[in-house]
Amino acid sequence: MKQWLSDMIASDTKTALPILSFPSVSLMGITVRELISDSDRQAEGMKLVADRVKSAVAVSLMDLSVEAECFGATIRVSDEEVPTVIGRLVNDEDEATALEVPAVGTARSGLYVESIRKAVQLITDRPVLAGIIGPFSLAARLLDVTEIMMDCYDEPDMVHTVLEKCTAFLIEYAKAYKAAGANGIIMAEPVAGLLSPALEAEFSSPYVKQIVEAVQDDSFIVVYHNCGDNVLRMTESILSTGADAYHFGNSIDMADMMAKMPTDTVVMGNVDPAGVLRQGAPDTVREATLKVMNKCCSYPNFVISSGCDIPPATPWENIDAFFATVEAYYNHQ
Amino acid sequence: MSFLILSEISENLQRGKAKIVVELVQKALDEGIAPDAILNEGLLAGMNVIGEKFKNNEVYVPEVLVAARAMNKGTAILKPHLVAAGVQATGKVCIGTVQGDLHDIGKNLVKMMLEGKGLEVIDLGTDVSPETFVQTAINENCQVICCSALLTTTMGVMEDVVKKAVEMGVRDKVKIMIGGAPVNEDFCQKIGADCYTPDAASAADAAVEFCKG
Repeated sequence: MKQWLSDMIASDTKTALPILSFPSVSLMGITVRELISDSDRQAEGMKLVADRVKSAVAVSLMDLSVEAECFGATIRVSDEEVPTVIGRLVNDEDEATALEVPAVGTARSGLYVESIRKAVQLITDRPVLAGIIGPFSLAARLLDVTEIMMDCYDEPDMVHTVLEKCTAFLIEYAKAYKAAGANGIIMAEPVAGLLSPALEAEFSSPYVKQIVEAVQDDSFIVVYHNCGDNVLRMTESILSTGADAYHFGNSIDMADMMAKMPTDTVVMGNVDPAGVLRQGAPDTVREATLKVMNKCCSYPNFVISSGCDIPPATPWENIDAFFATVEAYYNHQ
Repeated sequence: MSFLILSEISENLQRGKAKIVVELVQKALDEGIAPDAILNEGLLAGMNVIGEKFKNNEVYVPEVLVAARAMNKGTAILKPHLVAAGVQATGKVCIGTVQGDLHDIGKNLVKMMLEGKGLEVIDLGTDVSPETFVQTAINENCQVICCSALLTTTMGVMEDVVKKAVEMGVRDKVKIMIGGAPVNEDFCQKIGADCYTPDAASAADAAVEFCKG
């Protein structure tokens, strides 16, 4: 996979790598609730997407409720949207100390690993990456996203206790994906992007780095995703994680990020998945995609992508327009 | 002396030192400083600095939240004195995340920035129906309704809030503001809301202007 990344940088023609999985629901005529409950459907969905679009990889669901549910968090499931974590599982230092690290296989985690095992059998023409949450974003779901921001100041030891347990679970979860045949993971750490650079350097990157060091090797990459607002101010810390590739969201100007990143590292982003891909039309998708590509494709390490997970109900004509734009751009070049 | 203590209140608020802010507010009251002076020149002055720093990316969400918490704890001490002195908020806003949506970090941040501008805020929480938004505005005489959404599947409820305000005969009496990751200016115009703001700081500024009338 490291060679695959190097080849990508060396190539004059790049293949888009959007975070594209949930819109498979409309290809299969099922609901999100049905998709998240069935490994066969998840694998089938990934295969259908791979057959339809020329994407650089096949990506599994970026469902940021799976891991929190394993710890015991309550989630709300709907037919149309990605599940949401509700409430606060850990309220104080005692509860953080008592929090048990779940085994991989708890709740839906086993099902999601199984979906990858099935997907890699079906998809053999491109790498398969599994979606996983990052440690601070997982801790935020256990401590409440608003409360953890203040806990970083008031109760740092408690936050570190929870982070250690989140990291321990995520390492085993990532290893399970690796054993199932995934070629890597995309690790989503968006909540860390709301922090100050100092807090991010204390409460996120060191834990991401532990996961990277535990699982990343020549055959298994970690793609670090952070669509938070402040990533331009924390690039040094983010790069300290040692991830093989990076993925950023549409709250930033991608060109500004490209100027800060090392040229031997693949960096991806950042067409707006909600405002453009979900709510736009083919012509606005084309315009937005070209805007990013025109600014960033001069960097050989840039790969065009969505800014985040593409919503389930995104029209396929818009997704098709995205890929058509990318293909036309490189054909013209 | 009074200038010094008000300055200390502001600085400790900016550092998120809630306990010290509470002590200083009480001390200022004990020294006979007018409650509205403590509010405006101590607490809100501190939040104004934080708000500007937030706009300029000098501080971030955690710093705003701890500062706002310090402000709220200080305001709680002042409240009975403000009421007794007939001091009123500069406006009244109700805020919530729309029906079907449970995400609240953005809404919480906006709420704190609104309070930092001296507005009274009724926090309706998450998963708020259009009827609740509008009825609350009616019952509480709110000048502004603030709707937040994080999901593309829930943002449509914002249009229902606008329609409900029309249906209940108060559309001309209340301004409707929207915000959240999937929304934008085009959407705001499409649904007939009054204002879209991309971040908490600009939301607070816009709400203040609306409350001025």
